[in-house]
Amino acid sequence: MNCENYQILLSDFVDGTLPAEDCARLELHLGSCPDCTDARSDLRVIVDFCRGQRGQYDSLPNEHAMWLRISNLIEAERGLSNQLQPATEPGRLFRLMHRSWQVSLPQLAGIVGAVVVAVALATGFGVRQFLGTGTPTLAQITPEVPIPERHRQQQEMIAYWNQRVDLNKARWSQQMRDTFDRNVGVIDAAVDDSMKQLAVNPHDPVSEDILNDALNDKVALLKEFSDY
Amino acid sequence: MKLFASDNRKPVKNLSAVFSILIVLTASGFALAQQKVSRRFPAGKNVRFELKNVTGTITVETWDRDEISVTALMDNRKATINPRITEAGLVIDIVGDNRALGNVGDINFKIQLPARSSVDLETRSGQINVHNVQGDLVRAHIWTSGDIQMLGVNASRVFASNVEGNIFFDGDLIAGGTYEFKSGRGTISLQLPASCGFHVVATSSVKRISMGPFWDERRMRLLSEGRRVTGDVGDGRASVTITNYQGDIQFFRR
Repeated sequence: MNCENYQILLSDFVDGTLPAEDCARLELHLGSCPDCTDARSDLRVIVDFCRGQRGQYDSLPNEHAMWLRISNLIEAERGLSNQLQPATEPGRLFRLMHRSWQVSLPQLAGIVGAVVVAVALATGFGVRQFLGTGTPTLAQITPEVPIPERHRQQQEMIAYWNQRVDLNKARWSQQMRDTFDRNVGVIDAAVDDSMKQLAVNPHDPVSEDILNDALNDKVALLKEFSDY
Repeated sequence: MKLFASDNRKPVKNLSAVFSILIVLTASGFALAQQKVSRRFPAGKNVRFELKNVTGTITVETWDRDEISVTALMDNRKATINPRITEAGLVIDIVGDNRALGNVGDINFKIQLPARSSVDLETRSGQINVHNVQGDLVRAHIWTSGDIQMLGVNASRVFASNVEGNIFFDGDLIAGGTYEFKSGRGTISLQLPASCGFHVVATSSVKRISMGPFWDERRMRLLSEGRRVTGDVGDGRASVTITNYQGDIQFFRR
């Protein structure tokens, strides 16, 4: 089997529902294939996240932009379909919906299977997008942006990751919670100190560097602990 | 309160014996509760070793054999260690291997590998010690608290960072090499040979930067009221960047 076939098995593998024989083959392959191992790790993170989020809804940090894009896409498609189809004739979708279908049981099972796979892939891709590019990244915050605006954007990111850390914090040991809080305090102190310095001297390059470093460190720390 | 008459010391002796036995039993109980795992892996001379731990001490040493020895002492017997041999070397990812377990507990690692190895070490908390490694890369990153000690390190790329804890580097700087040290609160100390040459950018927001014997007022300057020192030492060919939010930066001559 190639990597593509192995990766199809990953979902069942992560859920623990894969037959023992396939499980053994897959584990053997994972031992030698970093790509599939990464795919497994990604899928596991997604599944863990979904389990953690079950029954809850997190608003996206760039929710407004996302809805705007969706709205634009719908408008664009509507305009395109209006141009392509005469309004008087029933559309292809209409004919498709009103056609009678006769399928055998294996065909039906195949269709259901295909729908399930498509939905699973779409969900996986969607969650991955949400975790990866959906969340704001440091790269998106350019140095050209003025300091207060940059700071505000970074604080938004911190609030987002903080929310995710808070979901997991209850599972940590008391010692880990104390250590984490103390270390976040160290970084916060550096941020406060830099902000005070910048209030006195707005163009101090050292304070700017420390502020950026400290905020980036905080985001990285929160990200690291968000799946712990 | 008088427990025993001074003329009768036997009960005191018995009590001491009972306490001694209890202490021994308790200590052996702790020892038995921990699990020790040792494995060896064949390796070339220029192997790369990666370890991502959760909590615990990581000690890396070098030896003359072409193999990597991994010894782990685990608090939680359910913790999984699943070393993965890759084309480049050996990878151990405790975080990934134990995602479903929750609290992994302390895992203390002792690693022995060929001197020309590259090492990339990471832990969420705990100490990292690296001794005598001379490969291309030495990276030690502690996400929160823990000291980092690098002794006899001779690598062209060295990175050490933590939030709370000291960083001590004793080694050579290679011309053209990159050396980065960063801490939130702790002392960063570099002990270097007198002959080494490097360009330094050292930043400490609390203004405690001591260049020691490497200070040269003609080739170095202070910025932002002494919160940053920048300049060249010797040929200035290695690049040393040090950032400390709330702690000291110190240079010593070996």
